[in-house]
Amino acid sequence: MASERGAVQLVAGIWYPPLSSRGNGARLAIDCGGVVSAEQADGRMLAEATLASVEVSPRVGSIPRRVSFPDGSVFETDDNDGVDALLRQHGRRAGLLHELERFHPRLIVFAAVVLALAAAIYRYFVPALVELAIAVTPPVVPRLLSQSAMISLDQTILSESTLDPGTEREIGEGFSALAALAPRGTAGYRLHFRDGGVIGPNAFALPDGTVVMTDQLVRMAGEDREAILAVLAHEIGHVEREHSLRQLYRAAGIGGLVLLIGGDLGGGAEDVLVQGAALASLSYSRGQETEADRFSVELMHEAGRDPAALARFFQKLRDELHDDSRSDFLSTHPSTPERIEETLRYAEEIAADGR
Amino acid sequence: MAGETLLEPAAPALRLRREQFIFTGKAGEYFGIWIVNVLLTIVTLGIYSAWAKVRRQRYFYGNTMLAGASFEYHARPAQILIGRIIVLAMLAAYNLTAYFLPIVSGIIGVAFLFAIPWFVMRGLRFRARVTSYRNVRFDFAGGYGGAFLAYLLGGLLTWGSLGLLAPIASQWMWRYTLGNLRYGDRPIECDPRLEKLYGQFVMPAAVFLGGLVFIVVLGVATFVIASGAGFDFANRLPSDFAVVGIIAAVYAALAPFFVLYVLVGLLYAAGTRNVALNETVIDGRHVLASKVGRWRFAWIAISNFFATVLTLGLLRPWAAVRMARYLASATALYSAGPLDEYLSTVKDTTGVVGAEYMDIEGFDFGF
Repeated sequence: MASERGAVQLVAGIWYPPLSSRGNGARLAIDCGGVVSAEQADGRMLAEATLASVEVSPRVGSIPRRVSFPDGSVFETDDNDGVDALLRQHGRRAGLLHELERFHPRLIVFAAVVLALAAAIYRYFVPALVELAIAVTPPVVPRLLSQSAMISLDQTILSESTLDPGTEREIGEGFSALAALAPRGTAGYRLHFRDGGVIGPNAFALPDGTVVMTDQLVRMAGEDREAILAVLAHEIGHVEREHSLRQLYRAAGIGGLVLLIGGDLGGGAEDVLVQGAALASLSYSRGQETEADRFSVELMHEAGRDPAALARFFQKLRDELHDDSRSDFLSTHPSTPERIEETLRYAEEIAADGR
Repeated sequence: MAGETLLEPAAPALRLRREQFIFTGKAGEYFGIWIVNVLLTIVTLGIYSAWAKVRRQRYFYGNTMLAGASFEYHARPAQILIGRIIVLAMLAAYNLTAYFLPIVSGIIGVAFLFAIPWFVMRGLRFRARVTSYRNVRFDFAGGYGGAFLAYLLGGLLTWGSLGLLAPIASQWMWRYTLGNLRYGDRPIECDPRLEKLYGQFVMPAAVFLGGLVFIVVLGVATFVIASGAGFDFANRLPSDFAVVGIIAAVYAALAPFFVLYVLVGLLYAAGTRNVALNETVIDGRHVLASKVGRWRFAWIAISNFFATVLTLGLLRPWAAVRMARYLASATALYSAGPLDEYLSTVKDTTGVVGAEYMDIEGFDFGF
C-alpha cells in the first residue's frame, strides 16, 4: 500500500493526538533526511520527529503497528509491509523475530526441535532440578507434609489397629533393630499399626520416617515375621532414598516448566495440571520400587536375617490375591512375578558375597 | 467494520449503536509466534519467557477489534522479567528462612496470606495500565479491602458453603475486577445483581446434583453386579506397600467427580460472565453485552484441553485462537455516543508510570 511521492513513500493509517482517542486519517512518511512525519490528506503536518526519536512497535503477526512520536501522539496502521518498506529504505532492518515466526515450512523443523528439547528436559533437566530441590529442602517440609497426610488418612481410610499388643511389640522391636542399621537411625523412624479398611493388606512410608502397616498385612503374613520385617525394610528404603519428596518435586517441576515454556494454558487446564501433579506425586516410579526392594534385601542381610524374606512375602501376596499379572494397571510398578525373581536373585548374590 | 446497525429512536440520547467485538487472529499465524516463543524460552533457559509473554499478549490484544480499532498491550519485557526475578528471589529467601528458622517462616507464611490481596491488586492495576484502546489507557482503582473480600473471603465463603454462596463471591469478584476499571479518566461500573447470578447458579447446580446421582448409581451398580459375579474388589486393589495403592484407588474413584466439578465450573463461569458484562456500563453510557452459550463454552474449553494434550501441546495455538474468537463473537458494546472523546489521564503516560508500577506481573501465574 506504500505509494510513491517523489522519493518519499507514504503509508496510510490513523493518527491520535497525545492521550486522546480522537483519531484522524493520516499518512506516514520518512523523508530522505530521516525525518518521520504524520500528515493529513491535505498535507497539514500532524507530528514530526527524527527517526531516532520515534518508537516503532515490533511487528507481531498482522496486528496494527504503532509509531509513537516524542510529543505523545501516535500513528497507527494495518499496513505492516508499508512500514517495514519505509524503515528498510532508511537502513532499519525489519524484525528478525517476525521473520522467524512467519508461517513457513521451517516451523516444522522448529516444532521437531522443540519436541526433542522437551524430551531432553524431561530426561535430564527435571531429575537434576529434583536433586537440587531435595538438597535445599528445609527439614520442616517433610514433617509438615507427613503430619497432614497422616491426619487425613486417619480421618478417611484408616482406623484403630486391632492387633494384640504382643504382636505389635514384637514387630516393633524388629523394626527398631532394622532402623538402627539405616543411616537415619532409630530416631528417624516411627512405626504405626492401623486397620487398613479398603486398602487391605498394605504398608506405606511418609517422608518424615513414619511407617504405617495395616493389620491385614500382618495377618496375611501369619507366622512369617521375617516377611513382615522385609516389607518394613522396603519402606525404610523409600524413606532413606526420599522417594516421596522426589516424586512431589518432579510433578511440581514438570507443572512449572509446562507453564513457563508453554505460556498460558487456558480455562480448566491449570486445574487439571495441579491435580495431575498431586496424583503423580503420590505414586512411586518402577525404578524406585526396585530400589526399595534391593534396599530391603541389603538391610535384612545386614541385620542377620533372611535377605530373601521379601520374595516370600510377594509369593504369599501372589497366592492370596491371585496377583500374577505381568504388569499392574498403572504400569509404574514391577509386576509381582518379576519382583519375586529379581529379589531372589539379588538375595542369592548378596548371600554369596558373604558380607 | 461491524457497527453499521443504527437504531433510530426519537431522542438522540437514546441512539444506541451496536459494535461487535471481533477476534482476527489466525491459528496458523499464531502457531509461528508460539513455537518461536517456546523454542527461544528453552534455548535462553527461561529468560525469553518475558519477551514471549509480551508477544503473545500483543498478538491477542492487537487482534481484538472493536469498532474498527484494536486493543494494545504495552508492557515491556524487562518489567516482566524483573517481576519474575523478584518472585524467585522471594521464594528463595522464604525457603532459606524455612531452613534455618522454621517458626519465623510459619509467621511469614501467614503474613503472605494477607499480602495476597495486595499482590492481586497490583497485578490488576499493572494489567489495566498496560492496556489501551484507541490510544487511551485503562486504569484500575481497586484497593486492598476489595481484593481481600473478592479473593480471600470470597474463596472461603464458596468452599465453606459447599458452593451454595458462590454467587455472592462472584458478585464481589466482578464488582472488584471490572467495577474498579477506568477507561482513561472515565469510570466503568459493574454491579451484577445477586438474583441474576443465582439465576445462572441453578442449571450448573442441577447438572452437579444429577451428575452426582448418576455417578453414584453407576458406581454402586457396577459394584453390585461385579460382586455378584464373584469379583472381590477389596483384594483387587494394587498392593504396593506404598501410598500409591490408596491414592490410586481414591483417585480412580474421584476422577468422575473431578470431571463433573470442572464441567460445572465452566458452565457457571460462562453464565456469570454474561450477567456481569451485561450489567457493565462504561462512562455511564456504553453498555457491554455478552451472550456466551454455556454448553458451547464448556465444550470449547474441554475439547481444547484434550486437543492440546493429545498433540503434546502443538494444537495449543489453535485452541487459544478458537476460544478467543468465540468469546469475542459473543461480546458486543452498545454505544450511546462517540468513542473518540476519551482522554488518557496524564499519570498513565509511559514515562511517568514506567518507574511507578514496579512490575508485579510476575505474580499473575500464581493466581
